[in-house]
Amino acid sequence: MGEIGLKPYLLVGAVLFVTGIVCMASKRNGIGVLMGVELVLNGANVNFVAFSRYTALGLDGQIISLFVIVLAAAEAAVALAIALNFYNNHLTIDVDRGNELRG
Amino acid sequence: MESIGHELGIWLAVAWLLPLLGFFIEIFGGYWGTRLSKTAAHMAVVCIATGFVCSSIAFVRWGAVTDWAALELHAPVSATHFYEEPNAAKHSGHGSSEAATAIKKSFSGQYYQLALFGDLEIAIDYYIDSLTLVMFMMVTLVATCIHIFALGYMSDELTDDHIDHEVHLANGSHMHRPGRYYRFFSYMSLFCFSMLGLVLAGNIFMVFVFWELVGICSYLLIGFYTERHSASTAANKAFIVNRVGDFGFIIGLMIIWTWCGTFQFYEYDSVSQSRPGLFQMVRTADGQLDREGDVVYLQDGQGHRLVNAHNQQPIGIEYMLLVAAGIGIFAGCVGKSAQFPLQTWLPDAMEGPTPVSALVHSATMVAAGVYLAGRFFPIFTPEVLLTIAYVGCITLFVAATIAIVATDIKRVLAYSTISQLGYMMLAIGVAGWVAGLFHLITHAFFKSLMFLCSGSVIIGCHHEQEMTRMGGLWRKMPVTAFTMLVGVIAISGLAIPGVIAFSGYHSKDAIMATSLAFFGLNSSHFLLYFVPLITAGITAFYMFRLWFYTFLGEPRDQELHEHVHEQSWVMTGPLVVLAVFAAFCAVGGEHGYLFRLLADSEPAGIAAGTIGVSGIALPTHKQVGAVHMTAGAYALVVACLGTLMAYAFYGIKILNPEDVKRQFAGVYRFLVQKWQFDKLYDVMFVKPAHIIAGWCVAIDRGIIDAFLHRTVKTGVDVSNWDRRFDEVVIDGLVNSIGNVTFAFGRSLRVLQTGLLRQYVMFIAIGVVGLFLLLFVFFPK
Amino acid sequence: MSGEHVLFSLFAISTCASAVAVVVSQNIVRMAFWLIVSLGSTAGLFFLLHADFVAATQMLVYVGGTLVLLIFGVMLTASGPYLRLKIPPGQGIMAAGIGCVFLAMIFVTVVAVDWNETIVTPDGFNEPGAGNTARGLGLSLLGFRPDKDLGAADGSLSTGYLLPFEIISVHLLVVLIGAAYLARAKRRVASTDTEN
Repeated sequence: MGEIGLKPYLLVGAVLFVTGIVCMASKRNGIGVLMGVELVLNGANVNFVAFSRYTALGLDGQIISLFVIVLAAAEAAVALAIALNFYNNHLTIDVDRGNELRG
Repeated sequence: MESIGHELGIWLAVAWLLPLLGFFIEIFGGYWGTRLSKTAAHMAVVCIATGFVCSSIAFVRWGAVTDWAALELHAPVSATHFYEEPNAAKHSGHGSSEAATAIKKSFSGQYYQLALFGDLEIAIDYYIDSLTLVMFMMVTLVATCIHIFALGYMSDELTDDHIDHEVHLANGSHMHRPGRYYRFFSYMSLFCFSMLGLVLAGNIFMVFVFWELVGICSYLLIGFYTERHSASTAANKAFIVNRVGDFGFIIGLMIIWTWCGTFQFYEYDSVSQSRPGLFQMVRTADGQLDREGDVVYLQDGQGHRLVNAHNQQPIGIEYMLLVAAGIGIFAGCVGKSAQFPLQTWLPDAMEGPTPVSALVHSATMVAAGVYLAGRFFPIFTPEVLLTIAYVGCITLFVAATIAIVATDIKRVLAYSTISQLGYMMLAIGVAGWVAGLFHLITHAFFKSLMFLCSGSVIIGCHHEQEMTRMGGLWRKMPVTAFTMLVGVIAISGLAIPGVIAFSGYHSKDAIMATSLAFFGLNSSHFLLYFVPLITAGITAFYMFRLWFYTFLGEPRDQELHEHVHEQSWVMTGPLVVLAVFAAFCAVGGEHGYLFRLLADSEPAGIAAGTIGVSGIALPTHKQVGAVHMTAGAYALVVACLGTLMAYAFYGIKILNPEDVKRQFAGVYRFLVQKWQFDKLYDVMFVKPAHIIAGWCVAIDRGIIDAFLHRTVKTGVDVSNWDRRFDEVVIDGLVNSIGNVTFAFGRSLRVLQTGLLRQYVMFIAIGVVGLFLLLFVFFPK
Repeated sequence: MSGEHVLFSLFAISTCASAVAVVVSQNIVRMAFWLIVSLGSTAGLFFLLHADFVAATQMLVYVGGTLVLLIFGVMLTASGPYLRLKIPPGQGIMAAGIGCVFLAMIFVTVVAVDWNETIVTPDGFNEPGAGNTARGLGLSLLGFRPDKDLGAADGSLSTGYLLPFEIISVHLLVVLIGAAYLARAKRRVASTDTEN
């Protein structure tokens, strides 16, 4: 058994990604949805770094994953602000209550 | 010489156009004046009086320039002077323009050219000869007197609230309306303008235009009391019956224009002898027809035949066509002068105010027909002249018989007018040209005088017109009675020969002489002498009947008699003036000034007589002169007989008219019904017109209206169907498209739940689905 | 069974299990805890992939920053202690099902591709166990690519990642301002039931 190879890492990344999606889809708490978003981005990061290690992507993959981390942080900040606004307006963090955009 | 014609033209144009100016100002009298102002009337009087002055000046100037040649006598004075052999030097006024010894006494010229259609020129022309001047003076003088009379007669219109007692409203009261004083005088001014224009006219088209204009004025004046049904019906009747005559007039006009190519009477323009006038074309210089077989050749005014410019052939007109033209023109005269068979309108025309009857329907308008017949004498062939004579003969007899039984004072005078017009036509028909026109002038004076007297009586009796309620008025209205007597004597033709004779005696004398001469030459036409003779007696009878009934005897209605009074000088003054003229205008008879003036305009050829190809011989002056005495004697005898009978019946009442009425009840009824002419025309024309109108109404309603309604209904149905199609199909289609889109959108709306989690789910499902689609179901 | 494999298995299972635990747990704070575990294990995976700088950054920023932020958010938006936000079970099953299908889909894809052909390791670069990427990353962020430009001819120098670096900086500034604005103090909507 030599090195690990690309596939396991990709599979881990896939699991993280899908879990994040499911978390987004199944949490009524707004913060829970944000956690799902973090998971998704994390999965993508694992993918990037794996490819950076095992293909000709090289440093580019890692640079990109750095950017992703930074952007995820920024996005988390703004999303939190939105969640706080939502909480102020609806007095609850339950996203199911916020269906004013219902068609 | 041309300048005098021009000058005369100006004088007469002033006299002619002044009343028109007056009309245009007076017709707006309602705007610049009140209903109580007499200014419009005074303006009218001034206009027509100035017209009389201008005509007199023109007459005097004409006489001065022509050295009064018309009145000259080339032989010692003798009663039969006129009937001597014709002298070429005396009677060369027409036909030749360069007779060296003749003084030109007639002038023609043009005021204004209206249009030029190829060869046909339509212009405002004048033709002035002694007849024109005499007519002008007569018309203006009579009109002035009547205008002054009307100042007083129409004064009950000088109010803002005039009550018309003959118009009954629905609730039984009389009608109130504002007065129409100014309007009456504006119409009178318009009438004077039209009549003078007719007399002045130098071409037949202008005559026709003014012919119609006098007809319109007559219509307006007869229907002056518009609200009275009888008056408006009478106005319609007058106009329509006139139109019947004018129909023939137009046919005559058309024939003349087609062959002669011109409307002008005479053309004296020596500079451009382009086209001779009408009368110069038809007759030669001595007044004969240039006839070969069935064609009459037109002359060129210089003694040669008129040739066609293109093929150098002489132009001729078929003889029968010339006869037809003459009958056509005469038909107009029949309508205008109320001859048989178109005489029914004149008695009804008495619905107008009395001054109208005096001016229009006795002296001037109805005389226009005679005037035209006289002017157009050269066109009339002997057959036409015979027709004219017979029409006149029948008319004078019919009208006189009806006048015997009439009781309305104006009706009697109306029938008398018709009868006297018949005399004039008869005279022209038997080639007594001067006699007929002589009678026209004298008749104008004494008839208008009598109408004005009757107006004075009517006003005095407070608008009572039935003679049966009058009587014994001579005590209360002496001036009227005396002037009326003058008129009655004049019309009856009574005289003491050689001592005193009123105008009617001389003129009727001339007519009787001519007709006796005619009878002498054509013994088969004896009626043309005997009927007028008998009618002269009837005339005297009914005129004296009228006078005795009205003025003599005991009053038949005492209460009416109480309030009778003479009028002011405004109304009696004109009576006196006219009486003077009625008595003395024809003094001297055949060698009096009036006769000589008229004789100066006589068409050439009458003096010499004619032997017509159809066997009719027209008498020469010499032949007329020969029988003059006998005719005069017989006429006087008959007139005296008539007067005596009237005196017996109505003066001293030794004979009772009631007995005669009972004995001849059938005749009496026939006469009272005016020979049943009205009924006859009603059945012949009015009822068929109503029936045809009824058919037209039925066709209009049943067929045309039904068709239109059907069309409309079809249109409406089509548009309804269209609308439904539009609404159901097209709108449905469009709506369904919209609905489908909307439904689709609404169904898609379901996806918009607004729930965050579900959106995430959709994303995930979408990705999975896409993956499946791309790599499982559609693999490369 | 080398140490690498063992470590990999450990870290992989930790990551996946704690990720699943994030989904499954009902308490928001416990979800945050499991998330921390998951992110930390991911950092471990990064270390195994010789991306030491990225791993360190992950721990610092993600775990130390973002997660703390999330926990603050949980505290600020706390609802009553006995209130449990549950989704209907049907939706939960459907979400799980879709998730499984998704996962299966990706697994199939990953397994089906033959990665060996794509794996090309250039000489002298990124050797296994090289690590020490901080310098390389830093230089490339400044616009200089040591792994590509060393020994390259003139005129074919790459630009590096200087521009995205600047953009990210500005982006962070904007986010800072935006978040500060969004989260400013404002009047809370009056509630109909009693405030606690």
